[in-house]
Amino acid sequence: MLVTLWLLATIVFLLVSVLPGNVGRKVLGPFAPEAEVQRYNQAIGTDRPLLQQYFTSIRRAFTLDFGKSYGTREDVRDMVLDALGRSGKLALLAFVLTIPISIVAGIIAARRQDKITDRVIVNAGLASSSIPEFVTASVLLSIFAVQLGWGKAFANPPDNAGPIEQLQYLVLPATAMAIAYFGYIARMTRAGVITALHADYTRTATMKGLSKRQVMVRHVLRNALAPTITVISVQIGYLFGGIIGVEKVFNYAGLGSLMLGAVGAHDVPVLQGAVMLVGMIYMVSTLLADLLIAYLNPRIRLGATK
Amino acid sequence: MTIVDMGHGGARSATAGAPALEVDDLNVVYTVRGIDREVLRGVSFTVAPGEAFGLVGESGCGKSTTAYAALRYLPRNGKIVSGSVRVGGRDVTAMSDAALQEFRAREASMVYQDPAQAMNPTLRVGKQVVEAFTVLGHSAPDAAKLALEALRKVRIADPERVMDRYPFQLSGGMQQRVVIAMALACHPKLLVLDEPTTGLDATVEAEVLDLVRVLRQETDAAVLMIAHNLGIIRSLCDRVGVMYAGKIVEQGPSAEVFDSPQHPYTVGLLRSLPRHGVRKTERSLATIPGILPLIGAHLPTCVFVDRCPLADDKCRTEVPPVVALEGDPNRFSRCHHVDRIADIPEPEPGVPITVLSPSADQPGVLELSHISKTFRQRNHAVPALVDVELELGEGETLGIVGESGSGKSTLARAMLGIDAADAGGVLALNGTQVPPSTTERSADDKRALQMVFQNPDSALNRSWSVRRILARSVTKLTGVKGAAANKRVEALAAHLRLTPRHLDLKPRQLSGGLKQRVAIARAFAGDPRIVVCDEPTSALDVSVQAAILNLLADLQSAERTSYVFITHDMGVVRYLADRIAVLYLGRIQEIGPTNEVFNGPNHPYTEALLSAIPSVDGEEKTRIRLEGEIPSPANPPSGCVFHPRCPRAMPGVCDTTEPQLVEVAAGHSMRCHIPFDELGRLQGVPLPTPNDD
Amino acid sequence: MTDHPSSIVVPGQMPDVSERKQARRENWRLIRRRPAFLIGMAILLVWVVCALFPLTIAPHHPLDFRTGLNQSPSWDHPFGTDQTGRDVFSRVIAGARDILRIAPAAAVLGVLFGVILGMLMGYIRGWFDIIASRIVESFLALPVVLVGLLAVTTMGNSAWVVIGVVAALFTPIVARTVRAAVLAERELDYVTSAKLRGESTMFIMFREILPNVMGPIVVELTVRLGYAVFTVATLSFLGAGPPPPSPDWGSQVSDNYSSIVSGFWWRTFFPAGAIASLVISVNMIADSVQSVMEAS
Repeated sequence: MLVTLWLLATIVFLLVSVLPGNVGRKVLGPFAPEAEVQRYNQAIGTDRPLLQQYFTSIRRAFTLDFGKSYGTREDVRDMVLDALGRSGKLALLAFVLTIPISIVAGIIAARRQDKITDRVIVNAGLASSSIPEFVTASVLLSIFAVQLGWGKAFANPPDNAGPIEQLQYLVLPATAMAIAYFGYIARMTRAGVITALHADYTRTATMKGLSKRQVMVRHVLRNALAPTITVISVQIGYLFGGIIGVEKVFNYAGLGSLMLGAVGAHDVPVLQGAVMLVGMIYMVSTLLADLLIAYLNPRIRLGATK
Repeated sequence: MTIVDMGHGGARSATAGAPALEVDDLNVVYTVRGIDREVLRGVSFTVAPGEAFGLVGESGCGKSTTAYAALRYLPRNGKIVSGSVRVGGRDVTAMSDAALQEFRAREASMVYQDPAQAMNPTLRVGKQVVEAFTVLGHSAPDAAKLALEALRKVRIADPERVMDRYPFQLSGGMQQRVVIAMALACHPKLLVLDEPTTGLDATVEAEVLDLVRVLRQETDAAVLMIAHNLGIIRSLCDRVGVMYAGKIVEQGPSAEVFDSPQHPYTVGLLRSLPRHGVRKTERSLATIPGILPLIGAHLPTCVFVDRCPLADDKCRTEVPPVVALEGDPNRFSRCHHVDRIADIPEPEPGVPITVLSPSADQPGVLELSHISKTFRQRNHAVPALVDVELELGEGETLGIVGESGSGKSTLARAMLGIDAADAGGVLALNGTQVPPSTTERSADDKRALQMVFQNPDSALNRSWSVRRILARSVTKLTGVKGAAANKRVEALAAHLRLTPRHLDLKPRQLSGGLKQRVAIARAFAGDPRIVVCDEPTSALDVSVQAAILNLLADLQSAERTSYVFITHDMGVVRYLADRIAVLYLGRIQEIGPTNEVFNGPNHPYTEALLSAIPSVDGEEKTRIRLEGEIPSPANPPSGCVFHPRCPRAMPGVCDTTEPQLVEVAAGHSMRCHIPFDELGRLQGVPLPTPNDD
Repeated sequence: MTDHPSSIVVPGQMPDVSERKQARRENWRLIRRRPAFLIGMAILLVWVVCALFPLTIAPHHPLDFRTGLNQSPSWDHPFGTDQTGRDVFSRVIAGARDILRIAPAAAVLGVLFGVILGMLMGYIRGWFDIIASRIVESFLALPVVLVGLLAVTTMGNSAWVVIGVVAALFTPIVARTVRAAVLAERELDYVTSAKLRGESTMFIMFREILPNVMGPIVVELTVRLGYAVFTVATLSFLGAGPPPPSPDWGSQVSDNYSSIVSGFWWRTFFPAGAIASLVISVNMIADSVQSVMEAS
């Protein structure tokens, strides 16, 4: 875990510090005055010796201290965590919307394998997960917010908004994201359930005379959900890639908008901080998933005791 | 003819009351790529209450499909086209879903191959056994009591502890006991056993089969047993049906069918087994040429016609009738020529093989001394092979037997240098020491020592043609290239009875037997002196096995090659080997000439292995039974490693001191504290007169 | 012991064609029967033709802004016109070119490097595998789109940077799949047999094992192509695409989405639809290839 974090910091460091040579010149363009370039390099520390920069960068990764934003001189950690809070709210709503529906759809598809219901769910899933989120978001925006007047075209709720009102603002962008994850989760659930349905222990359970429902609940699902959990945990990382487009379409002031602003302002520390943070979230979520899978599967939990 | 009666009150008449199972003209198809393909073509049989009926036949004959159809649990693409299945008089094929569920809960149960997969890996054993009782309507506390009771009934000594474990924490034998306990929970009228001991070690298999025998006396369930092992069927079943291509071709009391078969297929099947202690130099094994018709093949003929030595025009045009035979009223054969069964030619005589035994002035082709192999596992030393001493003469076959974890495959891999043996041992070819790892060995050493693997699917590169597989080995091992190499490939193929057409095919287009021939041809590409065969026939059907064993004997006769033949099949090793080494936990427990090992006196472990074989000839045997499980090589017991399971262990000696491998008779060594003559007395074997000097 | 020659199991009846061709033909026959594959191929083909001959097909020049502004879809302008009077239909057709150049290049490069890395990791094992696996794991923690943005910001906005970044981020994903396939493969006895006759490591890896893991590699290539289209479109929507006058789809959506609220939905809807249709078509093909490969 710590090793992965260190490697992650190293990769991000390589990306911003080593590959492009003079970062200030690259970022500010060929026509910027030399003094400006130097000031930029100094601000993000790229004028110092590489090794020193490297250690600084690693220390920052472990202390979550990414320095000051080049644009606003604010502390990057505060900016990023603030934005993350808002994006997290959006992501959470998306997951709450998508996980139950996707898992149920996956189970139904598996039980009706190769029938028409299954085909519909599988192909809807394929389509939903292959369309980029910003495309879905644009389409939802034109249909619901503009044509039908449901939901809000701008997702930022007023500061004093209560939970219900916030929900009204967030529901459309969250739906756009939920649609994107539906496909992954439903398809993985379906595959897991089909594998478990064909397993010998399912046959044993059926031969015992259990009802289809008992077989499904007691024997199939417990074994079938492990791959689904893995997929969900992996998606948590990618969620923050897709969220940028959705936030842009709905003008939502989350992590995505922060990053886009940073791209426009060539604010490397903010970008670096955001990428590191998202990487860490990904690592934590996969770790949690592994723990959950170990909890569900005694073989992994007790593996060494045989 | 001996009719054997194994632990049961004899065949109960099938006419007493409604049959427990009545399968009538059952036709089943599998839909493959939109086309219905026939798998069962009119199967009929009945099993009386309390009776055990066996179905035998080679893979693909439809025996498992019959079993699953009996409980209406066919794969998704399978369906019953016509015919009926009645259990206790009720038609299973016509039941509603609810009735079927009730039927499975109360009237029928099933136990199948691979118990490790048969239990839910994520639930404790107890929960799963209890469930078999709650489904019958018992309250939770009652069900828990009944579950403990059920586990005791299948001879599990410590049921509370077992209930608390997860399936993967139990050994294979223990898992199968638990599955049997669940199957018996409802006192079923019908118990279906589908290869219940396949994949288990011989001594564990014997235990499970004993359990089934005892339970049959205790319960009144009718048993339908599926097995490819004819010995198991004979020892357990009152009657048997021999299946071929989705039809029962012969049926009758087990002893009668196996002792005087009346269908050419049954005759071929029985003659392809190495039996009655026959050796390769005395007689070759019978083979059944050709292959099973593909499923779905249109067969308006005798199903066996393409492979039958008696086939004539009538067989090719008319479906043979059911011919009732004398004796048992249910005995029949589906053959036009029952009267000509005696005309089926006997197998050919065996081949002469000269063995040059190693002696003082004549070093063996292969010598191993102090060979050990220790694996490291999480900083734990796991001794897989301990101080092995072996030698092998030219043209000699050394059989290596033992159960899983005995180290027999490790020994093979150490000889070949795939997993190099520990430093300190000596491995010599023709008296010259060779490096332990194959990568350090010279081209000549590599050429001299080759291997035939257990599973030809794994051993042949599936994206290469047979020609390329063989040519590459010829070039690499002999240095011959191009047209010359190709010529040698064709000669090699002809020698192995592969046609030129086979050379341009990929492995997956060949049958299992042909694939194994290609693998053998590859091993012989560089004229090896020694070929290590690691269970080369265990994945094959018996008739195919016979062809491969004959071929190996022929090659040995012609090339004077030596074999190290690893197997768990005592019949095969008796047929093929000149000497036998018995391995247990990485140690040679006994080594000696084949006849002496089979006649005894034996090491108690060898004794247990020999008495674990269910014989197709129905020979009565005094049996010794092993208790407990094979220990892990990571944690070998103190003293003699076999003492915890040894029924003859002497406390105070065997558990403290490890015995040495001592020569007890000429060329016959043993690792046991019990004196040789004492073993002979215990085992009821007269000692060989000590005069062969 | 006569196992006569009838003991050959030949699936289908094509004895005269070489085996490799036959297997391919069988797979091809199976895949052609899948409607998803046919529909996907048809859509993809349309876009490929558009990318190759945009000026022949498009009724107007994609940069030509002499027509009326913000016209809704009509016979003359099936997708309407934008705020400078350019024909959206023509721009959508011309926009196929950028994405169909960048995405396949990124996918092919990513798979190529991934295969090499995965083969080495899976076959050589040991320290190399342990270290490489940790690096691969860390790469997997990097969200492709975020890193793409970071890279484009620091390295500039060229097609090659996008191709390089997407390929670099796909490499570890492909490597992981290939490694798993090679790990299973190297345990098979044909590899042992090759060692027993003294084959070199390179020979075993690329002549013995590689042909047997081509199935997962082909699947991976089609799946990665789908993801590449997805990623490249998203990056260009986020501003890492070609600069404004270009008819690139992602850039078009980016330039026009804010006008949806003003009612000019067609300026966003059609390029967005184009992206969706391309991604779905590639994924339909990938899904069909995967099903057929896994079945065989």
